[in-house]
Amino acid sequence: MGDGTVFTPDIGFVRGLKNSGADTMKQCYQCATCSTVCELTPNDNPFPRKEMIMAQWGLKDELSADPDIWLCHNCNDCSKYCPRGARPGDVLSVLRKAVIAENAFPRFMGTIVGNTSLLLIALLIPVALFLAVLNATGHLNIPAGDVIFRKFFPIQLVDSIFVTTAMCVVFLFSVSVMRFWKKLNVNPYKLMAHSMLLPHLLETLKEIFLHKKFQKCGANADRTWTHRLVLFGFIGLFITTNWAVFNLYVLKWDSPYLKDDPNILMILGSQAAVMLYYAAFKLFGNASALVLFIGSLMLFSNRMKDKGVNSVSSSFDWIFAGIVFLVCVTGLLSEMLRFANSAQLAYPVYFIHLVFVFYIIAYLPYSKLAHMVYRTTAIVYAKMAKRDVM
Amino acid sequence: MSDEKGSSIVVIGGGISGITTAIEAAEAGHSSVIVEKNPYLGGRVAQLNRYFPKLCPPYCGLEINFKRIKQNPRVSVYTTAEVESVQGSEGNFNVKIKINPRFVNAKCTACGECVKVCPVERSNSFNFGLDKTKAVYLPHELSYPMKLVIDSGVCLGTSCAKCVAVCKYNAIDLNMKAETVEIKASSVVYATGWSPYDATKMDNLGFGKVKNVVTNMMMERMAAPNGPTKGKILRPSDNKQVKTIAFVQCAGSRDENHLAHCSSVCCMASLKQATYLRESDPDTKAFIYYIDLRAPGKYEDFLKKIQADANVEMIKGKVAKIEEDAETLDPIVTVEDIVGGKKVTQKVDMVVLATGMEPSLKTANAGTNVKLDENGFVDAEAQAAGIYASGVAKRPNDVTTSLQDATSAALKGIQSAVRR
Repeated sequence: MGDGTVFTPDIGFVRGLKNSGADTMKQCYQCATCSTVCELTPNDNPFPRKEMIMAQWGLKDELSADPDIWLCHNCNDCSKYCPRGARPGDVLSVLRKAVIAENAFPRFMGTIVGNTSLLLIALLIPVALFLAVLNATGHLNIPAGDVIFRKFFPIQLVDSIFVTTAMCVVFLFSVSVMRFWKKLNVNPYKLMAHSMLLPHLLETLKEIFLHKKFQKCGANADRTWTHRLVLFGFIGLFITTNWAVFNLYVLKWDSPYLKDDPNILMILGSQAAVMLYYAAFKLFGNASALVLFIGSLMLFSNRMKDKGVNSVSSSFDWIFAGIVFLVCVTGLLSEMLRFANSAQLAYPVYFIHLVFVFYIIAYLPYSKLAHMVYRTTAIVYAKMAKRDVM
Repeated sequence: MSDEKGSSIVVIGGGISGITTAIEAAEAGHSSVIVEKNPYLGGRVAQLNRYFPKLCPPYCGLEINFKRIKQNPRVSVYTTAEVESVQGSEGNFNVKIKINPRFVNAKCTACGECVKVCPVERSNSFNFGLDKTKAVYLPHELSYPMKLVIDSGVCLGTSCAKCVAVCKYNAIDLNMKAETVEIKASSVVYATGWSPYDATKMDNLGFGKVKNVVTNMMMERMAAPNGPTKGKILRPSDNKQVKTIAFVQCAGSRDENHLAHCSSVCCMASLKQATYLRESDPDTKAFIYYIDLRAPGKYEDFLKKIQADANVEMIKGKVAKIEEDAETLDPIVTVEDIVGGKKVTQKVDMVVLATGMEPSLKTANAGTNVKLDENGFVDAEAQAAGIYASGVAKRPNDVTTSLQDATSAALKGIQSAVRR
C-alpha cells in the first residue's frame, strides 16, 4: 500500500448528522456545482463540495478543524442549483451544530441543549431553579396590589441569578472556544504568528455588523434583513438591560420609575428632564423588543418558505426561532398585563418570560446562538490564515 | 400474413429507430407504416455530422435505408403527419393520423426555382436557428421524400404565389388542406425519439444570453459540411474561427431540476466533437468539464485516444457559471477543478453545452395510451399488448443500441401480427 493519508470514518457521527437533518447528504455525487455557485467560498480548496464528502465519509476530526463550514452563511444558492437535492447549505448548518456539540463544555450541556427531545429538561432546569429560589425567599405567591414585578421576583434575586449564570457562561464558553481554536489551528492553515488578532477581529466585527457576507447571497437574500433585525434587536435589549442596571445601582431609581422620586429629580434637575430620560429609556427598550419580535417572525416565515413545516432538517434552528419568538411574546405580554394590572396573569407570564431569558443566556454556548461566537472566531481565524475571501 | 388482413405495424416516428423497425418488419414480409411529424425522415441522425467512434457520416447509412424503403412496397411513409389517436387492442388497433399540408405535391422535383423567387425567410429549424431558409425550402440535402415544403407560419399565401407562378411542374398547391387517415394496425411501435433539452432553462449557463454558448446539436450542424457554416467551426457572435472551446458536460442531465436521467451519449458526443475542432487546426485547444465520463466497452479506446491528445484537457468538475467578457464576447466558465482542488475560471472562444435528451413523448403524449416512466420514457414493461417502443423513446441510447432495439421491436410487432 502507498503511504497516503489514512482516514478514519466515524459511522456514529454520520448517523448523528443524518438524524439531525443532514439526511440529504448521501445524495451528493460530487459534481461541485455548489462550490462553483457559492459567492462566499475562497477559490483555493473551496467549500462546500469537500465538506459534503467529508460528511459522507464521517470525517469528524477533519470537519471539526475546518473553518470553512463557518464561512458559509446558509444562503442556499448551492442547494438551489444542486442537481441531486443534496442541500449542501443545510448539511453545513447541521455540521455547525455538530461542532457546537463537539466543543461543548461541560459535554452533557451540549447534549441537553442540542437534543430536541431533551428540550423539556432544558426548560425545566430554570423553572425548578426559580421556584426553589422564590420558595426559599418566601416569594412563592401572587403579590397583592398594583402589578410591580419586583414585588414578586425581587430584582436583587433576578440579578444575582442572572449575573452568576452569565459569568459561568463566559467561563464555560471560553473553554469551548479555546478548544475550538486549537482544533482549527492545524495544517493546512496553521498560523505562523498570532500578532494580528485584533485588526482581524475588528475587521470581522465590521463585516458582521454591515452584513457583508449575507449581501452576497442570491437564493436566500431575505435572510439579510432577518439577521439584521434579530442581531440588532438582541443588542438593543442588551443595552436596555444594562441601562436598567445603571438606573438601579447608579441612579438608585427602580421600577416602577416614579417621576417625582426626589433622588432622580435632584440628579436630573427638573421634572421635564426626568420625563425625557424616562421616555428615551422606555422607547429604546420597547423599540428593541419590537425589532427582535419582527425578526423572530421573519425567522419563521423564511424557514416555512424555504424548507416546509414538516422538515426535520433544522430542529435546532426551529427551537432557536421558537425561543426568540416566545421571549418576545412573553416580554411584551408581561408589559401589557402590567399596564392592565392583571396580577393573576402578569406574574405567571413574567415568570415564563424569565425562563426563556434564562434559556437564551445560560444555554448560549450550546444553542444555535453559539454561532455568534464560533462563527466570529472562525472568520477571524480564517482571515489570520489568509483563508477568508472578503 | 398481416398484409392480407389489411393490418400493418404502425411505427410512430421516422428517425433512425423508426425507419429501422419499419424496414426490418417489411423485409420480413409484413407491411409497415411510418408516421413522421417532420417533412423529412431521418430525425436527429440526419442532423449529425459524424457518428462516434468511427467518425463516419450518418448520411451514408441513411441513404442505404432510404433505398431500402423505396425498394420495398410494404413500407408506407407519411411525413408532416401526426398520430391523433390509437384505439383498440393487439391485432386490431385503429390509428388515426392527421396529415398536415405540405403545400407541395408529388410532382415536385426539388429543382429549387420556387426558392429563388420566394420573398420571405424563416429560421432554419434543421440548423437550430443558426441560419435561415425561404418559406419554401428543402429541409436538407438528403431529404426523404426529396420534395420541398412550405412553412405556413411565414408564407404569405395566395396573395403572393410567386412560387406557384414559377413552378413548371404544377407542384405547389397553396390551398392544400390537412387530411385525416385511419389505419388498421396489428401493433404500434413508438419510435418517437428525443429533443435536445431546452438550454435556456439553465439560467446559470448563459445560453441565449452569452452569445458564444451553443448546444452540442448546434455544434453538429456547425461541423457538418452541409451546415450553416459549411463545416467551419465559427462562433456565432463574430464568425471568428474557434480556437479554444469548452465542453460543459451534464448540461441539464443528471439534474433533478432539469432531466434527472443520464442522457448516456453526451460524453461520447463531446469527445467526438473535440475531434471536429482538433482536426480543423493543430493549434486549437479543447477543455472538457465533466462529472463522470461514460465511455463503456469499446468506447473506452476512443476515450483513450482523445485523452492522449495534449491539446484536449479534461477537468473533473461541473461548470455551474458561464459569463461573458463584455469586450471580446468570449464566454468565461467557472468550475471547481476537483482533482486540483481549486475554483478556476477559463476564458474560451466558444462553449458547447452537452445538453441531454428529453424524450419527445414527455411533452407530446396526446391521443395515445402509452405509459411513461417518471422521466418521460416509454415504460416497456407497463404497456398493453401490442404497444411497443424502440430507440430513445424507451431510454437514452446511442445509434448502435437504438438499431438493435429497433430490430427487436420489429420482431415484437411481427409477433403481434402473427399471434392472432
